[in-house]
Amino acid sequence: MYPLLCRTPQSGFSVKSRLTMSPPVPSDLGYVPPDGGWGWAVVFGASISVGFAYTFPKAFTIYFKELQAVYSISYSQIAWITSIMCATTYGGGPISSILVNRYGSRPVVIFGGLLCGIGMVSAAFCTSILQLYICVGFITGFGLALNLQPSVIIIGKYFLKRRPIANGLAMAGSPVMLCTLAPLNQFLFDNFGWRGSFLILGAILLHCCVAGALFRPIGAPTPPVKPQVTGKGKDALKEEVTEDAMEMGSPTKVPMEDKVEEEGGKACCEKINQYLDFSLFKHRGFLIYLIGNVLMFLGFFAPIVFLAPYAKHIGIDEYSAAFLLSILAIVDMIARPTTGIIANSKWVRPQIQYFFSFSIAFNGTCHLLCPLASGYTGLVIYAIFFGLAFGMVCAMLFETLMDLVGAARFTSAVGLVTIAECCTILLGPPIGGTLIDTFGDYKYMFIKCGAVMVLAGTFLFIMNYYNYRMLAKEEKERKAKEENPKPVRTENEGRNSWNKETTRDGPELEPLSKEQEGLKEEVNGINEV
Amino acid sequence: MLAVKATGCARTELQKDPTVTTQDASHSQANSLTKMQTGLNVSSPEPMTTTRTVNRQTQGSPSDHLTFGHNVSVPGPDLTTQEFKQETKEHVSNATFVEYEILLPGVSGTSTEKNITLDRATRIELSCRLDNKYSHLKSLQVTWKWGNETLRHINKTENSWGIQLRIWDNSQLGSYSCTLKGEEEMHAVFHLQVPKIEGKEKPIVSYEGDTAVMICKSYGYTPTAWTWYMTNGSEQVAINDSLLADKYVINRVSANVTHLKILKLTKEDDGIYWCEAGFELGKSKGKLKLKVLSLMVPLKPFLAIVAEVIVLVTVVFLYEIYSKKKEKCAADEKEFDQIEQLKSEESNGLENSSTRHRKI
Repeated sequence: MYPLLCRTPQSGFSVKSRLTMSPPVPSDLGYVPPDGGWGWAVVFGASISVGFAYTFPKAFTIYFKELQAVYSISYSQIAWITSIMCATTYGGGPISSILVNRYGSRPVVIFGGLLCGIGMVSAAFCTSILQLYICVGFITGFGLALNLQPSVIIIGKYFLKRRPIANGLAMAGSPVMLCTLAPLNQFLFDNFGWRGSFLILGAILLHCCVAGALFRPIGAPTPPVKPQVTGKGKDALKEEVTEDAMEMGSPTKVPMEDKVEEEGGKACCEKINQYLDFSLFKHRGFLIYLIGNVLMFLGFFAPIVFLAPYAKHIGIDEYSAAFLLSILAIVDMIARPTTGIIANSKWVRPQIQYFFSFSIAFNGTCHLLCPLASGYTGLVIYAIFFGLAFGMVCAMLFETLMDLVGAARFTSAVGLVTIAECCTILLGPPIGGTLIDTFGDYKYMFIKCGAVMVLAGTFLFIMNYYNYRMLAKEEKERKAKEENPKPVRTENEGRNSWNKETTRDGPELEPLSKEQEGLKEEVNGINEV
Repeated sequence: MLAVKATGCARTELQKDPTVTTQDASHSQANSLTKMQTGLNVSSPEPMTTTRTVNRQTQGSPSDHLTFGHNVSVPGPDLTTQEFKQETKEHVSNATFVEYEILLPGVSGTSTEKNITLDRATRIELSCRLDNKYSHLKSLQVTWKWGNETLRHINKTENSWGIQLRIWDNSQLGSYSCTLKGEEEMHAVFHLQVPKIEGKEKPIVSYEGDTAVMICKSYGYTPTAWTWYMTNGSEQVAINDSLLADKYVINRVSANVTHLKILKLTKEDDGIYWCEAGFELGKSKGKLKLKVLSLMVPLKPFLAIVAEVIVLVTVVFLYEIYSKKKEKCAADEKEFDQIEQLKSEESNGLENSSTRHRKI
């Protein structure tokens, strides 16, 4: 383990600036992420948060029958609860991003956990379905939103070299939580009825606060007053110290500097951008990711929703149909960390976008082949492959976004992406349901999902090929400019200016191998992949 | 086919009364006719058959009329040992017709019992068929029994022995068995019953002051009426929702589903409830359990979990403060050492550098 925990980033910088003359930071974070140590505790906390956020709506469906009877409402009315919950979880992304940008991950997650708990506890005392919509749908959903985004964001702050593994492990929390929450919900319901269950679930959701407590802020925003060891690097150190402070805890200070320089017209945009980086919409990689993912989510969740009904439709009994979903969850659980490890390997990581597009296309192919599966054995094979593909895509979902926009802008990026995906995620299953009702056959739904995902995968593959080439070109230009020392200075200082955003993200992608070598040099030459 | 049956009838029927034989010869023909009509045609001409049976009765034959449906309006003392209830002829004439057969001696593993669910008046034919492997057995005595009573009019075909029944009443349901006695004895039973209503095995949990809804469903068969009972001590008391309208609400959501809503629950509402479905041929009950808890019950686990969360959060924060202190101490120590080193370097100055050079 690196002795980084005892050594503040600032001193690390002074060391680096003395050793190499290249730009002091390989990533745009402003410091070297620990890639271990307390990071693993953060990963554990993130997996809890992510698990709750993704699986709580699914596990909640156990209460539908009872609530339907008590409030005398139809199934579609009761299903609104989970729809509102999902919509709020994804739609609350931008707000989550703004809050994280302002306050950091930890307070936001703790507040989110409290909100979830309050939402469920108040739901236990509801007397009408409308109150349930508000308590369970909005309040708990928003609490989960405040859990999901910060958990993913903080992984980017603690990991760089091992980030795909960390992402894979954190996302693996989802199937693990599903396997525990579903039987737990059933147990609670049998023993305490729905009101008591909601009360206890509220307490269980408070564990998100524990996860939040684990999210130690990294990179101290205030530079500690220390006697400078070397007189030489003193000035350089001060510069970097102030830049660090701006980079980590509060990027608000960054534009303030710029504001002083370019006052007036841009002040308003800057202010909005400090909270939510709308300039990302000019970012090529971000746009590619956004379009590809929005398309993909149209066909992502529908097959899971309809797998059990499809199995029952072709004559399989209820328990075997439920077992199919368990198989899916178990394969998913194993696939996610494995994908993380594969994505972290030196062959895949530089081309991680291709791996992502491949897994989406693989997922789509599974769906296209599903109607050919006959009988229970065929469906079991389909469930295994589907679980594998689903795990692969989920594990890399946020990793690829981090890879494209960099960890600093990831905060805003994830918020914008989730609110855009929100629409298609919600539309996916109802469209599938309409197809099934219209044609009376499940195969059209599978064909639609498969086609959409293969299309999304192909689109991402082609566009990322184009993106890699453009990045390589820009990197070459940047290297050519670097021959000249002057532009280097302006580049470093203007690092945070919005103009140089496209070139800035270069280091993240193509020259990652060089970056790794650079890191190796700096960190005792330990050979780590 | 039926003619064969009829003659077979005459042969295989157990004749107790010798005087019956001669009469039975004529009866058998009458029998065959009636059987033809009742067995195959749903809309058989009632008056004809009735008169025939009347004729039979006046001749005082003790023959068991398995075709119960005929003798509705005629009180025959020796007709059968069973009682016939008054039933409209239309019911019987519009009844459905079903056939059931059990193969004897039966494949090992399969039971020679059959459960037959009837919800309305039905004409039913039950038969026991002998496996072809055993068709060589000659002297076979076949007995049909209903409970303890022996039934007489058995229709025999090549290898099967059957009885025809008209069920329109609850009292006619039960277990009908056939016994084939030869070298070995083979036995088969048909259980005629009303549709079963399933209640819920798991208790429904609710809280004081809350509302509970209990649901009963009938699968496949539509009951004519639903009634709800609650258990008061050891007896079952019918729930009258019109009388206690602010406490109980009974709702027939659809033909096969009924809801009982109990408002303002108290501890006394805890217990077993029965939902009873009334069919033409009888009633069937389903059992449901209601558990009423006080709010304290889930509160204890809730508080326990909240306490656990607070403890964990405190531990995490304390550990963080502790490790930060440790860091600071270590960093301070390091800096102190470095400052010391610098001071010593400065003081030693050239000496040290020269020694370094020399070493290198």
